[in-house]
Amino acid sequence: MSNESNELVVKSAPHITGTMSKTRLMQYTFAALIAITIITAILWWPVMCPTSAQVSTLHLKNVWALPLGSLVLINALIAIGVAVGIDVLFNKLVSDSEKNYWSSAVFGLIVTLSFSLGIPAMAQATDVMPIDTLTAPTAFIYVALIALIGQVVFKKVGGIGGRKYVNPAAAAKFLVLLPFIGSIFLTADHYAAFTSGGLGVPSLAGPIGGGTLAINGNGLGSFLGYLQSCFANPNATTYPSLSSLMILEKFHGWTGGASSIAVIIVGISLFVLARKYMKWRVTLAYFASIAVMSLVFSMVYADSDLMTRLLFEVFIGSSIFLGFFMATDPATTPFTGAGQIIFGIGLGILTILIQTYMNFFGGSLLALLIMNLTVPLLDRVGIHKPFGR
Amino acid sequence: MNIMANLVEIKEHKDIARTKPIEVSPDPKTAIVLTYQHTGAVNKPLVSVGDIVAMGQKIADSKERVSAPVHSPISGKVVKIGDIYNSCYSECSEAIWIENDGKKTKDKTLTPISESELKNTANDVLLKRIREAGIIGLGGAGFPTSIKLAVPADKPIKTLIVNAAEGEPYDTADERLMIERTENLVRGVRVIRKLLGNPKVIVATKVSKVEAVPKLQAAFGKEPDTEVVAKHLTYQQGDASVLQKAILKYEAPPGKRSYEMGTIVQNVATINAIANAVFEGEPLISRVTTLNGDIAEPKNLQVKIGTPISEILAQNKVDTSDIRQVVIGGVMMGNALPTIEAPVTKRTSSIIVFSKSKYKPDQPTTACIHCSNCIQSCPVRLHPIMIYNAIMKGDFAKAEKLWVKDCIACGTCSYVCPSKLPLSGIICASRH
Repeated sequence: MSNESNELVVKSAPHITGTMSKTRLMQYTFAALIAITIITAILWWPVMCPTSAQVSTLHLKNVWALPLGSLVLINALIAIGVAVGIDVLFNKLVSDSEKNYWSSAVFGLIVTLSFSLGIPAMAQATDVMPIDTLTAPTAFIYVALIALIGQVVFKKVGGIGGRKYVNPAAAAKFLVLLPFIGSIFLTADHYAAFTSGGLGVPSLAGPIGGGTLAINGNGLGSFLGYLQSCFANPNATTYPSLSSLMILEKFHGWTGGASSIAVIIVGISLFVLARKYMKWRVTLAYFASIAVMSLVFSMVYADSDLMTRLLFEVFIGSSIFLGFFMATDPATTPFTGAGQIIFGIGLGILTILIQTYMNFFGGSLLALLIMNLTVPLLDRVGIHKPFGR
Repeated sequence: MNIMANLVEIKEHKDIARTKPIEVSPDPKTAIVLTYQHTGAVNKPLVSVGDIVAMGQKIADSKERVSAPVHSPISGKVVKIGDIYNSCYSECSEAIWIENDGKKTKDKTLTPISESELKNTANDVLLKRIREAGIIGLGGAGFPTSIKLAVPADKPIKTLIVNAAEGEPYDTADERLMIERTENLVRGVRVIRKLLGNPKVIVATKVSKVEAVPKLQAAFGKEPDTEVVAKHLTYQQGDASVLQKAILKYEAPPGKRSYEMGTIVQNVATINAIANAVFEGEPLISRVTTLNGDIAEPKNLQVKIGTPISEILAQNKVDTSDIRQVVIGGVMMGNALPTIEAPVTKRTSSIIVFSKSKYKPDQPTTACIHCSNCIQSCPVRLHPIMIYNAIMKGDFAKAEKLWVKDCIACGTCSYVCPSKLPLSGIICASRH
């Protein structure tokens, strides 16, 4: 035997390491996200997108009618394929590039689950809403685009400086959907009544209520009625209660938020499984601040019931999914426990403010990007004193 | 805030070794005694090549206060004085080679003090005995015990904590001492109590030491003002300051000598050595060490200090061609040997062998993912990744601001890191 092979390995202590690795952490996260993807696909399978009624009333052309659940699975395949494919390509081109296929696959699923699908019932009354992106095949193109831009610009190039500053999926989605900014920030179209070609969205910056009628001249139908027509199964003849929609099953909006209860169960399971590796403080602070802000606004604007605003703000897909799976992205969140709590609170406050005053439902995405940029500052907060000092 | 200090469970790997009685290893053919094994001033040899030395004869010492002499573990002839790898410091240092003459001629400088004489023996005499016997902290720190126990009269000690936690995975030498030398530990504690003015004694151990706990309870139960506390303790709580918090619920300020807070923590192996020195007149020339790791028969061995590790491996039929790594003094905090010719020192609490055949490649080191688990897991509430980043940027001022000097080198941050960054290694290296 050669001399070299008998050399002892000398390295610094410790000489054993824990079982958790980056790859395993990514596998756990992937498993959680795949569970949510499958649950959503099953829940959404019975609904066609678009429904035959929507095809005729909306005069849809060049739209493929597919089971809504199949769109979820196809999106997942596309996003994972693009993300992992680019990773493979990068590894071929740049020899010292870090192999990170599981991380790419997780990113692909985040893109899939943060993408909105499903034409809401209320859209049938108007053609203002940008419906294309909610259906095949346009949705597929957008998902591929978001995965591509997210992987190249925000994951690969953004990671060169050693640290990613914004959540890649959120940043890419925001960038790709920027052309729709008019209809996202859309105040004018939002408030206009169906009859004058608007969406008839009640403003959150005023009293909202649980009644079926307009309140205090807010004008355009009650918020409860709006939410029901937004999230209910478009085939349904009667609307379920708001709490069952928001908590159990929605048929429009962020794919990952279709079933809030599924996200909560899967999310908490992941937190328990990978205990100290997950930034659960962000999630906790985020939902606590959303709940408090909703109740405060509810009182400030004298809502006729406290629950509608609370249910909407907490359980809208963009809050529930983002709160568990995007706001906790380790790379773009603070190091210290106090920093994470401030991050979560700030994210909650911004989300509510954006949804209330910009009428941008799904405003958590913009809030997250803003909060991500504060992380270098928040990393200086909450440096606790060591033992005995 | 106590909740901030999360303690990470680390698998013990002690199941077999803890059941193995202490075996006395044969004396080495040639002992290699490092002259500098403690923390403090460097020793100078007192012998020259060609000298004949007796077993237990002092062969190196220093005139400085913070020091402890070393003794010949065997009788024989000094054949060489030169440098060899010193596992206490991870570098080569001076050692004395003694060829065994097999006569076991004993040096009689230290006379036994009987247990009945203890009461009437002056503290100065006892402290001098502890110093002359070369006793240092055997838990790993290596600080001269005679200095540690020489507490100023105006600093009364309220509590003596006997550190019977033995946190390091794989290590069971202390546990076997608790089982087999319980009475010796009791009389060692009596010496320390006398020196410290009869403080309350708390023997702190782990519930997982199922054989040791009842023995300790039976033996220490008869002693005055003494309590055996068997708790669930994590690896990190084997550290004196972290253990002190687990038992007494307060945090000792770093940088302060422990007596200033009224508490002394003493490890069982050191107490065993004190008892041997006082009552048997035996200097510290042997110790119990655990041979464990990827080997067929884990063991606890009483070995002479100065025995080459290679000799111990050969005697215990460890296939040296299959060795990948040999770790001395604990897998979490110890050093990996560059050569098995290195000798056993006073601080060799264990010899852990990892084989090539059972080696599973580590995950490669990758960039930090900011999970912040190292921050959540540090038992002394440091921010390891932030300190690491500062050091890697060369910003030592920032590292100091983040209290890098308070690191207890427990290795937990590296252990939990999913990116397998050498956090602990870099942080410890930067302190030199």
